[in-house]
Amino acid sequence: MDSEDDMHDANDAESLDDDFYSGETAMDSDDGDAADYEFIDNDSDDSDDLLSRRSQQNYTILNEADIHLRQEDDIMKISSILSISHVAAAILLRHYNWSVSKVNDEWFADEEKVRRVVGLLEEPRALPNVKELTCGICFEVYPCDSMSSAACGHPFCVTCWKGYISTSINDGPGCLTLRCPDPSCGAAVGQDMIVSMVSHDDAEKYQRYFLRSFVEDNRKTKWCPAPGCDYAVDFIVGGGTFDVTCGCSYSFCWNCTEEAHRPVDCDTVSKWIMKNSAESENMNWILANSKPCPKCKRPIEKNQGCMHITCTPPCKFEFCWLCLGAWSDHGERTGGFYACNRYEAAKQEGVYDDTEKRREMAKNSLERYTHYYERWATNQSSRQKALADLQQMQSTHLEKLSDKQCQPESQLKFITEAWLQIVECRRVLKWTYAYGYYLPEREHAKRQFFEYLQGEAESGLERLHQCAEKELQTHLNVESPSKDFNEFRMKLAGLTSVTRNYFENLVRALENGLSDVDGHGGSSRTGGARTLGAGSSKSRSSRSKGAARSSSGSRATDDSGQHWSCEYCTFANAKSATVCQMCQQRR
Amino acid sequence: MQASRARLFKEYKEVQREKVADPDIQLVCDDSNIFKWTALIKGPSETPYEGGVFQLAFSVPEQYPLQPPQVRFLTKIFHPNVHFKTGEICLDILKNAWSPAWTLQSVCRAIIALMAHPEPDSPLNCDSGNLLRSGDVRGFQSMAKMYTRLAAMPKKGRIFST
Repeated sequence: MDSEDDMHDANDAESLDDDFYSGETAMDSDDGDAADYEFIDNDSDDSDDLLSRRSQQNYTILNEADIHLRQEDDIMKISSILSISHVAAAILLRHYNWSVSKVNDEWFADEEKVRRVVGLLEEPRALPNVKELTCGICFEVYPCDSMSSAACGHPFCVTCWKGYISTSINDGPGCLTLRCPDPSCGAAVGQDMIVSMVSHDDAEKYQRYFLRSFVEDNRKTKWCPAPGCDYAVDFIVGGGTFDVTCGCSYSFCWNCTEEAHRPVDCDTVSKWIMKNSAESENMNWILANSKPCPKCKRPIEKNQGCMHITCTPPCKFEFCWLCLGAWSDHGERTGGFYACNRYEAAKQEGVYDDTEKRREMAKNSLERYTHYYERWATNQSSRQKALADLQQMQSTHLEKLSDKQCQPESQLKFITEAWLQIVECRRVLKWTYAYGYYLPEREHAKRQFFEYLQGEAESGLERLHQCAEKELQTHLNVESPSKDFNEFRMKLAGLTSVTRNYFENLVRALENGLSDVDGHGGSSRTGGARTLGAGSSKSRSSRSKGAARSSSGSRATDDSGQHWSCEYCTFANAKSATVCQMCQQRR
Repeated sequence: MQASRARLFKEYKEVQREKVADPDIQLVCDDSNIFKWTALIKGPSETPYEGGVFQLAFSVPEQYPLQPPQVRFLTKIFHPNVHFKTGEICLDILKNAWSPAWTLQSVCRAIIALMAHPEPDSPLNCDSGNLLRSGDVRGFQSMAKMYTRLAAMPKKGRIFST
């Protein structure tokens, strides 16, 4: 059967997706990079978790043929259960929003009432048995054989019927519930009569409405909201997330039909989108498309994906697009870490000082909003750029790279995977800024924890994005195969997997409402504590697993006098330590 | 065009025959344009409109009878479902519940029925609707009666809101 085939297709697509994740794990093991290997090993239970979560797909993508088939199936089902005609079954199902069970319930509870409400007569009445009849619309007299009627037997001439039906079709989907023109009669006009009476175009229009009704009136299905996409998604409510990926590769939230926004909930998203549209006029001037280079003040337009900007010669200043600080401050060697998500920190550093002091509360909140909006929007456009890059990669670059480096294209899969990961991460990261905006200021511990997770995830992603974008270029622009290509492969694949883990942890932590911060006992559980461990093992791969473990353990007694909180990264260190275990800043 | 003209002509002939049959309705076709009609209807008894004669203006579209005619009161009337200034009528059969089997005559009958049974929950005249909705039937009736006297009593000259 067609529909089964298509379902297989959908499953195949999904399992490809799974391969993409599991394959990555395998690749990492091949690389043998000690630090990353350990990291993967460390978190292997997590990736199993991830796999099982992905495999239980709770939705089906339907193309037009599938929809037809399902509709037909349901109609046949009702038709045979209630022993009524195909046309009557269609009328019934449409009336009860295509719910087979509802039709059954109502019908067997009170058949007579259902018939009356829907307009299905038990016994069709034939036209009066006379030679000539008067049409109820044009009042002309016609011979009996040029008259027609619905099941109720009210006679109208064929011309008037045609006009009546086609007017109704052109008025919109209301034609699906067409009744006999006689005002006192509620008899439904069947699909067979309608289609046989009207022009080809109108019949097609009617069939479209009929098909659309099956998706739109049905509580279990929705159209994919992507422009120009004809797929519908059948969703099984209960369990799992609302995020679905359509056959057109657009990901959206089935619940609110906004673009996919896991881990942020629908309410936050709709609040955020409302806010964006309300503030957009203010935003226009705040968010000009360019920023001046912090050193030479020449305006710079960002047209590449990552946040690491290098000003053109002679300036060549390298800086972070978000905070406009020197990029060298963002590295690990300086002992600092990527802190651009920290509005509070930025304020303390004096970036917002001048304005802050002068402006009043109202403006303050606008600033705060701007901060989050800017980062939300930047990630959005980065994602778009990454998507375009991914497409270009697949269409041209991979082939070129394959030639230059003498590598079969099949061995370059890691690059596509890296880009897919970037696209997904940009999406998640984007929504974390909406989340951050609505995270109450007073929830200090949560905020700090959230910003920590976000910062880690973001810095991981920046590394990955930069590697995929910039380093790849160097390998593309060589004459002969570069020696360090294998290193590049290892690095990129490693970064991909590390970044994926960061983001899974971030998503999980946000989805359980950062509950690790709440319950002191609970922090031994998953997400957050593990992220701290994971974060440390990545960013300072020399440090042992043991340190990460003990650090997560020590979070349990956060606020007792036995710990001190690092002022740079907020990590709670054992009292005895003089150097922060997490960021290695001195106390 | 031809179909609507033919149909209107049939209605015209029917009206000439039925004139005596329904004394509450007097439908008149415009002398020069069969798509313009006026009607005089009697306010139904036991309503505040009793004793009044109300003038309706019909504008019939070319797609008639597949599309409903446009009808409005020319005589001022205080009624929840009639716009006080324009005379526009909020009646389902003139909008989405139209059926081509309705005639101008039956539309008039439906309007008379609407006068007797106002629907204050979907008002075009909010003041009138609010009186009824707040239960002030007496207030509503005296207002409606006053306007009937002022505008719809044959002998006292009519106020047309053209």
